[in-house]
Amino acid sequence: MKKVPAESQESMTQKDFWRNSKVAVVGGGSWGTVLAQQAAPRCREVRLWMRNEDKVRGVNSTRSNSSYFPDMVLHERVHAVTDVERALEGADVVIWALPSSVCRSQAKQLAKFFKGHEILIHATKGVEEGSLMRVSEILHEELPCRRIGVISGPNLAAEIARGEPAATVVASHFDEVVESGMALFSSERFRVYGASDVIGLEWAGTLKNVLAIAAGSLDAMKLGWNARSMLLTRGLAEMVRFGVAMGAKESTFLGLAGMGDLMATCSSVLSRNYRVGFQLAQGVSLEKIIEELGQTAEGVRTTRSVWKFAQERGISMPITEGVYRMMDQGVQVQEVLNQLMQIPVNRE
Amino acid sequence: MTLDENSQPNSDSNSNSNSNSNSNDGATTLASGRTGSHPSVRFEQLPIEGGQLARLNDTRSLILQDVVDRTKKELVKDPSSLEVLLGDALHGERVRLKRFKPNFFTQSRKQGDRKLWDQIQAGMLRPAAEVERMKLLEQVLSHYSKEIGGNFDPRIYWLAIRAVPWAFSWLLNAASVRRILPWGMTESLQSRLAIVGEVPHLQKLAKKGTILLVPTHQSNIDSVLIGYIIYLMQLPPFAYGAGLNLFSNPALSFFMNHLGAYTVDRTKSNTIYKHVLKNYSTRILREGIHSIFFPGGGRVRNGAIESKVKLGLLGTGLEAEIDNRLAGKPQPNVYVVPMVMSYHFVLEASSLIEDYLVEAGKSRFINFEEDDSWTSAKALNFFWNAFSSSTGITVRIGKPLDIFGNLVDEEGRSIGPNGTTVDPTRWLTTRGQLCHSPQRDREYTRQLGETLIDRFHRENTVMTSTLVAYTMMSILRKHYPDLDLYRLLRLSLAQRTLPYSEFLSAAHEIHRRVMKMSDRGELYVAHEIMNWSLEKWVSDGIMQLGLLHDSSVAKVQDGVIWTEDMNLLYYYRNRLTGYGLGELIDEKGPRRKPGEHDSKGFLA
Repeated sequence: MKKVPAESQESMTQKDFWRNSKVAVVGGGSWGTVLAQQAAPRCREVRLWMRNEDKVRGVNSTRSNSSYFPDMVLHERVHAVTDVERALEGADVVIWALPSSVCRSQAKQLAKFFKGHEILIHATKGVEEGSLMRVSEILHEELPCRRIGVISGPNLAAEIARGEPAATVVASHFDEVVESGMALFSSERFRVYGASDVIGLEWAGTLKNVLAIAAGSLDAMKLGWNARSMLLTRGLAEMVRFGVAMGAKESTFLGLAGMGDLMATCSSVLSRNYRVGFQLAQGVSLEKIIEELGQTAEGVRTTRSVWKFAQERGISMPITEGVYRMMDQGVQVQEVLNQLMQIPVNRE
Repeated sequence: MTLDENSQPNSDSNSNSNSNSNSNDGATTLASGRTGSHPSVRFEQLPIEGGQLARLNDTRSLILQDVVDRTKKELVKDPSSLEVLLGDALHGERVRLKRFKPNFFTQSRKQGDRKLWDQIQAGMLRPAAEVERMKLLEQVLSHYSKEIGGNFDPRIYWLAIRAVPWAFSWLLNAASVRRILPWGMTESLQSRLAIVGEVPHLQKLAKKGTILLVPTHQSNIDSVLIGYIIYLMQLPPFAYGAGLNLFSNPALSFFMNHLGAYTVDRTKSNTIYKHVLKNYSTRILREGIHSIFFPGGGRVRNGAIESKVKLGLLGTGLEAEIDNRLAGKPQPNVYVVPMVMSYHFVLEASSLIEDYLVEAGKSRFINFEEDDSWTSAKALNFFWNAFSSSTGITVRIGKPLDIFGNLVDEEGRSIGPNGTTVDPTRWLTTRGQLCHSPQRDREYTRQLGETLIDRFHRENTVMTSTLVAYTMMSILRKHYPDLDLYRLLRLSLAQRTLPYSEFLSAAHEIHRRVMKMSDRGELYVAHEIMNWSLEKWVSDGIMQLGLLHDSSVAKVQDGVIWTEDMNLLYYYRNRLTGYGLGELIDEKGPRRKPGEHDSKGFLA
């Protein structure tokens, strides 16, 4: 993680520019709402695009997003809109906060509203199923913009909404994207680091979902901290192996977006991935779990694609394999754990 | 990002329809010896205009002065670094001059260089208060800019474009004269040189902006061929960077000096030189002079399509475009046009692949061939073969791109994804202002480089010979799946002999997969592969592979096929790598990026 050098004279004008900029947030989910709230004090205007008209009316009249954070009063400069064209009009920075499953289809639809100068920062943790394309790659392919970045880190939206201290990372190949992210999101309660390893950040955010399933299963077995630490550490080693094979830097996985996010996600009992793992370990079938959740947990699809790819590439990922066998082959968690424990031990 | 992939002429059937108007001309002019309608010209011929390059001579001193000034401005941003810059350059140049073995013609150049650096050294030894470092820098800058700076003389150009086509047409026609007689004139119209692809588009764009032509580079004859192709396309002359070593021959040097070539000396690696070179290139692009770069740097060693491109010179395109836009020029665009030349055989193949294997294999590669050098007899042999064989060279003008790598329409507008139009000004706006931004521009150029690699692969035309070599190699690998590249290359003659029937069935399978790739727009296939029967294209490929090299790459006799030179087989086979057309991994396996190796060390 690098910090953008601060040259006193220039950074003043830079800050002025971002302070006068217009920000559009695409997607009014929990994270999108929090990011909008976070950016609002540091720019001229934030438009929060949501599809549901009732919700938009609700947000604008009650000044809060009642479906996620009924207690958080939205900043006066946050406006919810349903019309994409209006949301994106004149925007200098666009925050993309949609789930990875709809990323490509939405990008295709929204492409014509982009002018090209926009800075695009996405906050999606996940990759396209099958093709394993990262979100920034999809956006690059579908939108007429090039200055794309990603924001990722141990950021449980609810905690940030409450104003608890936290940190995150913004990565892009373009320094100006990192600069904008730092300028818009940094506050005294929220530290924003810059980085250039986009691949690492995106894969770290994706792969930790697999381990969140594993962590859920482990907790269902009521095991102690030793087991959990073993899972996270060896799991991180797997993430690094896979990430490096995809072109990521190893050091990224030791940072906020890697180890940091892994710890936060695997400890959050509310996360969908964690719940999938928890219930799998209790013998509930995957179909049933998904039915109950109402929507697929990101980690389920990721596990399949990642395991298939790792097998083809000869990347050793025993934990991912275990999660895959538990999910799709109905193997009991106890058996998976036994097998993992029997893998010949080598130097770490 | 392939929008109208299928609108391309993909085979002879298409090209023929374009050539109807020309084919009659071709027959008549052939007899009279005129070259205007060479059979490979299947597009409308426009009158050649001198272009901006013709005016280069008038503005030459102005341009050189600009280059010096701009470089100076860039380099002295930090005055304290001047001492280091000059010291580095001095050291590098001393080392270079020590190693440089001048011949009769380059003697004076060496002396001139030495004199300059003696002066710089003397100056550097005295304190900065006495000898201004800036003056020393200026001295170096003006020396370099004069060395690099190209020249253009329209009279010589007219002479050359009349002489070169004459030579080419002699080779094209005389070499095949023995074939004309029995079968009549029509046979000679079967061109040895096929120029296909986006020629009219390129011709249009040449009037709407500045063209940056970026060809693949396999052989030393590329440069000559490109000059001829530009002439055939009736485009104004292009400026290009040529290795300084090419200027050591006085005859060649004379022509190059007057045809807009500027010199690139790859042995000079100091910062000052690089800046001057970059600024010269930017400056002439800004002048609206069409230019040629080989983005891969030198010739590819392993026979594959370029998997890496040099970004330094490529970046000058963007720099020029931004300058143009800031200056409010009416035609600010710089268009990047990829060009892929496909040969059946490459003159220097043996030495190139050996270089590559020695470099990549180190101790694992055991070299047992003697040196294979570039003799004039071999060169003549090459030209003769190239033009007497029934198919020679396919040159594809790729889809033009803007300076960011977006496709460009007929009007020169950049096309974004999903039917959007890209306004380059918007892409060059940072913090609300149209400006240079070094980090951003480097990243744009890096992305352009990636796009170029992809476009090169897509615009490649697979020749019969390539497919034969690829098939042969893949069977051998199936027979010996455990061997890595360097051991496979050392198979005994018996081991690398295969039943011809097995070869044919494997060729059929690979043909099927390559045709699928062609349907998906991942590459083009030569019309022989598309239209001919299996036996016919296979034997054509085998024949082509055998034309040039002393030891046959593939040979068939008594129902068996074998190869005499595994290194060459590997070289020609590599042209089909970078497509994920794996041999050991199954078809659905992950696609490897161009330039990556599989687990056994083969280019994947």
